[in-house]
Amino acid sequence: MQIELKTSLKALEKAKKLGPKGVLKRLDKMGVVGRGGASFPTGRKWKIALETSSDEKFVICNADEGEPGTFKDKLIIKKNAETMIEGILIAAYTIGAKRCFIYLRGEYDHLRIELETKIKEIIKKSGLAVTIEIIRGAGAYICGEETSIIQSIMGNRGHAMYKPPYPPVEGLWGKPTIVNNVETLTGVSQSILFDDWDSSLRLFSLSGNVENPGVYEFPLGVKMSKILDVVRSKNKIKAVSFGCFGGFMKIKKNMEITHENICKEGCQHGAFSMIFIDETHNIVDVSYTIAKFYTYESCGKCTPCREGTIRLLERIKQVKEGKATKKDLELLKEFAEHVQETSLCGLGQSAGNYILTGLKHFKSDYLEYLK
Amino acid sequence: MDKILINVLKEVQDNDGYISEKAMKNISVKYNVPLAKLYGVATFYAMFKIEKQGEHIIEICGSPSCMLNNGQKIEDFLEKELKIEVGKTTKNKKFSLYKTSCIGCCDEAPAMLMDGKPYTNLTIEKIKKILKKY
Ligand code: SF4
Ligand code: FES
Repeated sequence: MQIELKTSLKALEKAKKLGPKGVLKRLDKMGVVGRGGASFPTGRKWKIALETSSDEKFVICNADEGEPGTFKDKLIIKKNAETMIEGILIAAYTIGAKRCFIYLRGEYDHLRIELETKIKEIIKKSGLAVTIEIIRGAGAYICGEETSIIQSIMGNRGHAMYKPPYPPVEGLWGKPTIVNNVETLTGVSQSILFDDWDSSLRLFSLSGNVENPGVYEFPLGVKMSKILDVVRSKNKIKAVSFGCFGGFMKIKKNMEITHENICKEGCQHGAFSMIFIDETHNIVDVSYTIAKFYTYESCGKCTPCREGTIRLLERIKQVKEGKATKKDLELLKEFAEHVQETSLCGLGQSAGNYILTGLKHFKSDYLEYLK
Repeated sequence: MDKILINVLKEVQDNDGYISEKAMKNISVKYNVPLAKLYGVATFYAMFKIEKQGEHIIEICGSPSCMLNNGQKIEDFLEKELKIEVGKTTKNKKFSLYKTSCIGCCDEAPAMLMDGKPYTNLTIEKIKKILKKY
């Protein structure tokens, strides 16, 4: 896999030769974009931080992949942490940061000691006067959101904040801060060193009712049939859920997995976490699991999400228990839309996707449960 | 250098098994953070507990990939075997049982954490063995 290629501090060397502006140009040219889901061009993010003058700047590596069904960053930390750490150093060099952080999700605390050793080694070899501290996450999904991470590091509750200001302008302690995830920063090192680095390759976390779950690397535009061939399943797969937030999609074997095609189905691919669901499962049951996830993980800052996710859970439960009517399904849809439209951050704004796409593509599953 | 509060709390959680009122008061004085704020932070994160816990903390994954792979059966079995509901501690104070969101072991579902260590591809047989070890 491309993601396993090591750069052995040669990318940092090259970055120093290119100079900060040269690095930005290189990232743009190689097509490096954020891999957390938003696909924002990395060079542009860094440019803002570089151009904002401040006595102090920060770099945060987001290792808090909490989206259910996602485990690709874990693989990178296990197999290629060196290259990720080098990416952090390149970021620090480029924007002029001295203090960097890795926000490691609490569920990956078992990887921490080894990671710490690697950090020490690499910083020493690099000769840069930079520190990288590991922040030990403590189990909060919302802390995968960049403004929440910032709040969490500052010692506050990890609430999401209204944007703007964006972190590259005003982040940690009000100073310019860039937040990039593990996969992005690893790609930064690789794209700087290797001229044949392929920006179209993405890591897919594949799980659910399949025989060969795992992390795979595919180019954007890969056919669904190819993915199904790799993961294989005992029973017929009827749906894929993009994590919890991205919604349910029908399996169309000839579909090419691209941003546009997934959007057309009303779904969001995020970090390409695909949970496969076979025909022995009802979408309403899976939705019930997802509804519980949202009530649990809503940070509670804004009312439509804090209360709305609870109401959605109640309504899904009502369907599951065979107490709902057709009219209730209409209300459910309306309610889901309402929560999405009025919530503050990405969590609440996606908290109805599984319902809207479930009702759209798997209505018959709902009808089975009606009273 | 600014001290990272969440790391301080995590250390207390690791050492004491929970973050007691006394510990909070100490941190409050030492780092000059209002107690009320500290309480707010400590109660925000699922892994921080403000009540005394069992000797071992079991966190079982309740997210879709595990649930699609018999996760519910594992949860039910644990409740039966430990004679407690999720969220509670056994009478002998040995285990506390929690349900958690995805722990990133979806390719080895169903999965759980025992004191932060992942146990995967769980079956009832496997759980029985694990419980015996602790
Ligand atoms: S939408 Fe939900 S998670 Fe986001 S700020 Fe509001 S309550 Fe918090
Ligand atoms: S869904 Fe259980 S570990 Fe990810």
